[in-house]
Amino acid sequence: MNLDFTPEEQAFREEARTWLAEHLPTEERPPDGQPMREFDLAWQKTLFEGGWAGINWPKEYGGRGLNDIQQMIWYEEFARADPPFTLNNSCTFVGNNHGGPTLIVSGTDEQKSFHLPKILQGDVVWCQGFSEPGAGSDLGSLSCKAVIDGDELVVNGQKIWTSYAHVADFQELLVRTDPSAPKHKGISWVICDMTTPGIEIREITTMSHVNDFCEVFYDDVRIPLSNVVGQVNDGWRVTMTTLSFERGTAFMADQVELAAVVERLIEEAKVRTGPDGKRPAIADDEIARRLSLARAEVAALKAMTIAGISRTQRTGVPGPEGSMTRLFHGELHQRVYQLGLDIIGPEALRLTPVDGNGWTGPYLQSFAYTIGGGTTDIQRNIVGERVLGLPRVK
Amino acid sequence: MDLLPTPEQEEIVTSIASVIAGNHTTGEPLTDALWEAAAAQGWFGLGLEEALGGVGYSLAEEVLLFTELGRAAVPGPFLATVLASRLAAEAGEADLTQQLISGSDRVGLAERWDDDRFSVLDADGATMALIVDGERVTLVDLGGVALDSIPSFDTLVPVSLAIDLHESPALATAPDGPALLRRGALLSAALLAGIAKATTDQSVCYGIDREQFGQPVGGFQAVKHRCADMATRAEVAACQVLYAALAERDGRPDAEFHVHAARVVAARAAVENSQINVQNHGGIGFTWEHTAHRYVTRSRVYASVLGTTHTHLGATLAATAPQ
Ligand SMILES: Cc1cc2nc3c(=O)[nH]c(=O)nc-3n(C[C@H](O)[C@H](O)[C@H](O)COP(=O)(O)OP(=O)(O)OC[C@H]3O[C@@H](n4cnc5c(N)ncnc54)[C@H](O)[C@@H]3O)c2cc1C
Repeated sequence: MNLDFTPEEQAFREEARTWLAEHLPTEERPPDGQPMREFDLAWQKTLFEGGWAGINWPKEYGGRGLNDIQQMIWYEEFARADPPFTLNNSCTFVGNNHGGPTLIVSGTDEQKSFHLPKILQGDVVWCQGFSEPGAGSDLGSLSCKAVIDGDELVVNGQKIWTSYAHVADFQELLVRTDPSAPKHKGISWVICDMTTPGIEIREITTMSHVNDFCEVFYDDVRIPLSNVVGQVNDGWRVTMTTLSFERGTAFMADQVELAAVVERLIEEAKVRTGPDGKRPAIADDEIARRLSLARAEVAALKAMTIAGISRTQRTGVPGPEGSMTRLFHGELHQRVYQLGLDIIGPEALRLTPVDGNGWTGPYLQSFAYTIGGGTTDIQRNIVGERVLGLPRVK
Repeated sequence: MDLLPTPEQEEIVTSIASVIAGNHTTGEPLTDALWEAAAAQGWFGLGLEEALGGVGYSLAEEVLLFTELGRAAVPGPFLATVLASRLAAEAGEADLTQQLISGSDRVGLAERWDDDRFSVLDADGATMALIVDGERVTLVDLGGVALDSIPSFDTLVPVSLAIDLHESPALATAPDGPALLRRGALLSAALLAGIAKATTDQSVCYGIDREQFGQPVGGFQAVKHRCADMATRAEVAACQVLYAALAERDGRPDAEFHVHAARVVAARAAVENSQINVQNHGGIGFTWEHTAHRYVTRSRVYASVLGTTHTHLGATLAATAPQ
């Protein structure tokens, strides 16, 4: 038990801090469309050239092969550099945190050598085609269908809530390849080239005024069988590895950034006029108490994140305990932005971008934190059943 | 960086838990056997340097000890006695330190009740009291002090009132009161984190054992989700208590902040979990016989010593920002 960084980790921190001071973009991230894609990919390219892409990816796949502590240090330094955008709110998220890591574990040599360098270098955008209109929390009931025709799969059906599909080159796509098998046994995980004929994409505007949500329709879309990752009908197992990265490090950036957000909010509360119209917001008892609690809770979130890393270092794989961190983080993130709106007074009437240092845009976006990647109800089920061993009941 | 107990620390926890299990039943008063075993195991000087007569472990191991004491709802003056032995050692009172480590004396915990009076917890059978008065912490002899016992909210934690206690001659005074109080606050947070965990475990066991409508009640989502929230609060508390212990042990500049934060999240976790634990047990949870109510009252006691959630929250905001 110790809080010390090794000399190597300390040097890594210095290196990250110096590099970020020189390379962090200062302009705001365009909110949408091609300009957003170009911004995100340019940043990924800059990261790659600086040696900061795939920090915890194995070296043989172009990553730096560093440990999760170093990954956390990188996120901490990124947050400290006061960036005009958040790390996870990027169309490179799925490639870096889902698609890439899944290929590393389950892909063929050809799949790895073709896709992994492109992801790291910032050449391509990946999106995640899991959810469907009839299959959200119950992902295993998905019905987007694929039949084998020669050496191709022919896909028909629909996906929804596919973030960044409209700017994506590839998609991690879940399809039902055996409708007669039990629901988790007939699914395949395939790489779908988004330029394939028969794909139609419609954008959906979110409550936070962003258009990066999409519906994707598949009409006789032909995908080579060689794009299946793992075996045909073994997609659920592959998916579980994909989702285990979410439990591990995928949301660490958000968790680390939240600590900086709370410190910023404390500063804000010192300069904003409080609810009595006279004294600063921080002089108000209720606001001061909520700020204190937020500060204590983000500290505990960090401790939890470190405990999670320590656990993974012992067992090798992120365990279901990560769902407690997800649950706590999602709700805490929302409480922080709800408090933000209570502190900024009349400024709460002004809409700000979802990215950046405003409060109203991120507040609207905060609703996603208890829905995306498994709702908090589902996280509670996972904690109850897989961490605590409570019975599963139909 | 590593926040989980080492194999050696895990062994310490196992041995502490087995000493407690062998000498104590949750819901029962402290036994002499446990007190003597605690002394024999060196618990009263667990975190004290060997040069000062202690076992030579650190605050991290003390936190593990107090988490176990909280978990099993062990009553008795452990907190004040451990703080007293450190106070004596830091004040250079070697004989007194030895005496306290040997377990021959029990130390009550005295804090301001109102302008004239102090409350003393666990004064029954105690020969000394640790008096906390603002930032000043002293150890006094209880012999000859008039104690007026009141009905106690937690029947296993006797409460007495004493007038002019601070006028009793001090056996020793803490050279660094605030540091000792931080330590005490953190150990109380560990007790609370233990309660948060124990109540989660009770609810989970009952959720698996108890059947209604032909199925274990823990399968009902309302119960399951309450248990998941309990587990999460307990985990949040445990992680922050460990982090704070290491920060304080290593003298980090943000240690004070982390101790306050630990006490805040642990108190909230213990109080909420112990309350919901009663609900999860239905009628049996409301009985005197069941131990659920022990955690309800014990969590309130620990959350009211060495500061309150309110004062620790305020200090969380005032402290140096976390690094
Ligand atoms: C910002 C954002 C980005 C997203 N990006 C993607 C993406 O890129 N790719 C992708 O595939 N998906 C994406 N999603 C979809 C996301 O995974 C789903 O929205 C989520 O899994 C919930 O599914 P649903 O929307 O169908 O809600 P439903 O499952 O219909 O849930 C409705 C309500 O019922 C509750 N509920 C459902 N089942 C249970 C249960 N068993 N027990 C208790 N309560 C239950 C839920 O908690 C919720 O409150 C994204 C979502 C968001 C918000």
